[in-house]
Amino acid sequence: MKREYPDSGTSSSGEAAPKGKLPASAPPSEEDVDELLAALGYKVRPSEMADVAQKLEQLEMAMGMGTAASTAPVSDDMVFFPETVHYNPSDLSTWLDSMLSELNTPPPPLPAPSMAPPPSVPSFAPAESSSVNFDPNPISQSDPSRERKRMRTGSGSGSCSSSSSSSLGRGGAGTTVGSEVIEPAPVATPGLPVVVVDPQEAGVRLVHALMACAEAVQQDNLKAADALVKQISLLASSQGGAMRKVATYFSEALARRIYQLRPPVGPISDPSTFDSLADLLHMHFYETCPYLKFAHFTANQAILEAFAGCKRVHVIDFGIKQGMQWPALLQALALRPGGPPSFRLTGVGPPQPDNSDALQQVGLKLAQFAHTIRVDFKYRGLVANSLADIEPYMLEDESDDGEPEAVAINSVCELHGLLARPGELDKVYHTVQKVKPKIFTVVEQEANHNSGSFLDRFTEALHYYSTMFDSLEGSNGSPAEPPSPGQTDHVMSELYLGRQIFNIVACEGTDRTERHETLAQWRRRFSLAGFEPVHLGSNAYKQASTLLALFAGGDGYRVEEKDGCLTLGWHTRSLIATSAWRVMAS
Amino acid sequence: MAGSNEVNANECKTAVPLNTWVLISNFKVAYNMLRRPDGTFDRNLAEFLDRRVPANASPVNGVASFDLIIDRATNLLVRIYRPVPDPVPETTSIPSFLEDLSRPPSSDPYPVIIFFHGGSFAHSSSNTTIYDALCRRFVSLCGAVVISVNYRRAPEHRYPCAYDDGWTTLKWALTQPWLHSGDPSRLRVFLSGDSSGGNIAHHVAVRAAESGIDIAGNILLNAMFGGNVRTESERRLDGKYFVTLQDRDWYWKAYLPEGADRDHPACNPFGPNGTPLEGLPYTKSLVIVSGLDLTSDRQLAYADWLKKSGHEVKLVYREQATIGFYLLPNTNHFYEVMDEIKSFVTSNC
Repeated sequence: MKREYPDSGTSSSGEAAPKGKLPASAPPSEEDVDELLAALGYKVRPSEMADVAQKLEQLEMAMGMGTAASTAPVSDDMVFFPETVHYNPSDLSTWLDSMLSELNTPPPPLPAPSMAPPPSVPSFAPAESSSVNFDPNPISQSDPSRERKRMRTGSGSGSCSSSSSSSLGRGGAGTTVGSEVIEPAPVATPGLPVVVVDPQEAGVRLVHALMACAEAVQQDNLKAADALVKQISLLASSQGGAMRKVATYFSEALARRIYQLRPPVGPISDPSTFDSLADLLHMHFYETCPYLKFAHFTANQAILEAFAGCKRVHVIDFGIKQGMQWPALLQALALRPGGPPSFRLTGVGPPQPDNSDALQQVGLKLAQFAHTIRVDFKYRGLVANSLADIEPYMLEDESDDGEPEAVAINSVCELHGLLARPGELDKVYHTVQKVKPKIFTVVEQEANHNSGSFLDRFTEALHYYSTMFDSLEGSNGSPAEPPSPGQTDHVMSELYLGRQIFNIVACEGTDRTERHETLAQWRRRFSLAGFEPVHLGSNAYKQASTLLALFAGGDGYRVEEKDGCLTLGWHTRSLIATSAWRVMAS
Repeated sequence: MAGSNEVNANECKTAVPLNTWVLISNFKVAYNMLRRPDGTFDRNLAEFLDRRVPANASPVNGVASFDLIIDRATNLLVRIYRPVPDPVPETTSIPSFLEDLSRPPSSDPYPVIIFFHGGSFAHSSSNTTIYDALCRRFVSLCGAVVISVNYRRAPEHRYPCAYDDGWTTLKWALTQPWLHSGDPSRLRVFLSGDSSGGNIAHHVAVRAAESGIDIAGNILLNAMFGGNVRTESERRLDGKYFVTLQDRDWYWKAYLPEGADRDHPACNPFGPNGTPLEGLPYTKSLVIVSGLDLTSDRQLAYADWLKKSGHEVKLVYREQATIGFYLLPNTNHFYEVMDEIKSFVTSNC
């Protein structure tokens, strides 16, 4: 064991506060922090240590925490900072600054803006025709000649959508850079968070068989793999609960990979293409478990805060689907002190095989809702095969009101698909940079399912989806209860997840669109692309936790804060992460 | 009295390295915000501020960890740490996780340490970074499998929940064949903890003794005890080194049954309401005491009581150490105490 002590930071002998310290707003990077504290989750630069210590002392004094504490009477006004929103507690210096500044300038009486629990609006079923006219700002009133100018290619089926599909083709015109291969973002410290909820002997053997099969596939030992697939279904059939279901999906995907049926067929094929089944499954997943609700809720909170004081706002949803995220935000904006802004929504979605204009339907319903709560609302649907097909001009503000638009871009599980084709993510970053949003909210699965090694990918996915499936089981209530009517929803949710499993395991190349990466990997990508984080704080955390208590069935859900982002997980395993970004000031 | 506050702050700052001072003062300040005078606790803010780390089945410095739900009814989770086993020649590079994770780390007898994290019964979790780091260190130090218990906390869950969770974990460990080693093959288990964790370790050890379950040893780091009558060190050190009697009182009030006082046996096992330990097959103890912990003389009295009851005690008294010295490897206290723990474990395994 080492006897020499690694540099334990600055010595305690009366070191003066460092001169010329870095601006408080620049958080410490990974390299220049005290190693020992960093290992425990706190980032403090050695040069700032004495300064941080001084701030702690000031805070303690202000909070009356001196030696006389035990004799001081306990009073109600010793509850400190009840309204403070805390951000990024790992950055001690900034955290202390925010509290010290609150002490010096008491907070204003207005409460911080916050999201209420989602309003109970009827859920938007897909493909439901609406007979209600929407107004007061019908999009179809736009000048047809302007429409033609806006729509460079193709023809939308409705006057409120512009199509950007076939003519632009994949990857956007002229945006691919040679034949560069998309490398998965490097993982600095690969970890494998394992939560075992079913430690039975049979479950262990099943996992072992699955892993062995995956290894055989990796080594192209198809005979062994085939034998193992059969063994797995035997083992799975004697198993119960989440493990059996997970094993079944994984072994089916392995079988598909072994037999290499091209193209993949059946209901568990490519989950990223639009079809009414995908929509239905997505809806059921949204209803049944809290992951997507968490995503919407936390993203909305960040958007709400970014829009504070703005009179005209524009939200661009990179994957509008049924628009379930937006009623809650509209509600919160309607209720904010000072009244709602005028609200414009651009909803992006894939082309529909039957040429129906689902995007328009979504817009209709949202407009109807906005009308009931008196929020000035405009909508545009944008049909695109890929986000990389979107050009900045499609998103620009065309009105000639003096007041500029505040823009928020929102992406829930839409970015990872871009990693399947070289250059697409970069194109999207470029477009976002041009649009200059106040905030870019991003939600992604918290897992690395994009490793170049099939086996690593398989292993990660096995643990991830085991935990996911277990959370679905867990929120069913006790196994002894008879199945309730709502439980068919779980089958749908399982299929929704099963499609992702299938894609990760059985597909390759451009077909493999479920290329999830971790927060750490995304952070690196965003940073390289010129974005800086916008931190999510303790208010969003608290409300997300409250929401979980209200809506989540199971006891095991946990919200966590990590470096300014929020994650939702099952027990100790984070499964989905919300982060927010803005263009770095140059 | 501004003057004496200043003097005391300086004394405290020179007692520990600066980064240690920053770490523990940060906890002190943050925790102060969480405790409300009416006895309620801002759990949401506590969870938000707590720094955590996920389990990692891929070995880091020869240690791997995974989380396990051992009791569905209470969602009792433990984090298990282990040395990574030597690779078996015929397997390839893939770790077969659960199989490998539950293979005995060696053919020789090895210790299993059930660890209860500190936090005065209200703070921290088994995945709190400071405790994850400490448990990993125990693995490397002793070649042990460490089981860190995510026990239910106060004020939401009062006495005896934490003790029950400890007991559940012990009983569970007894049923796991892979945790048994040596000849005869058996569970060579140590109970350990710091602060409230030390208190829990004591009470679980008592229950084990009463049930005839053999514990190889107890390792207590600044175990948390209290009593109605203030002791000399409590009066002398109140507020001087990060801790005040006021906060101690708050935590006892949050953990003990409503209406109980600090002579409740959970808080004061060798006080007026305590149960004698004479004649019980109580385990041997390594009792580590920081001289600058305000309850230091209570902890010394505890060690004394164990001795007088006929049980083996190794007392390690670090006169100049404060609370939390074992969290950062930057003092003699840290390294010498780790050596003592290693000796104790290896000689009693």
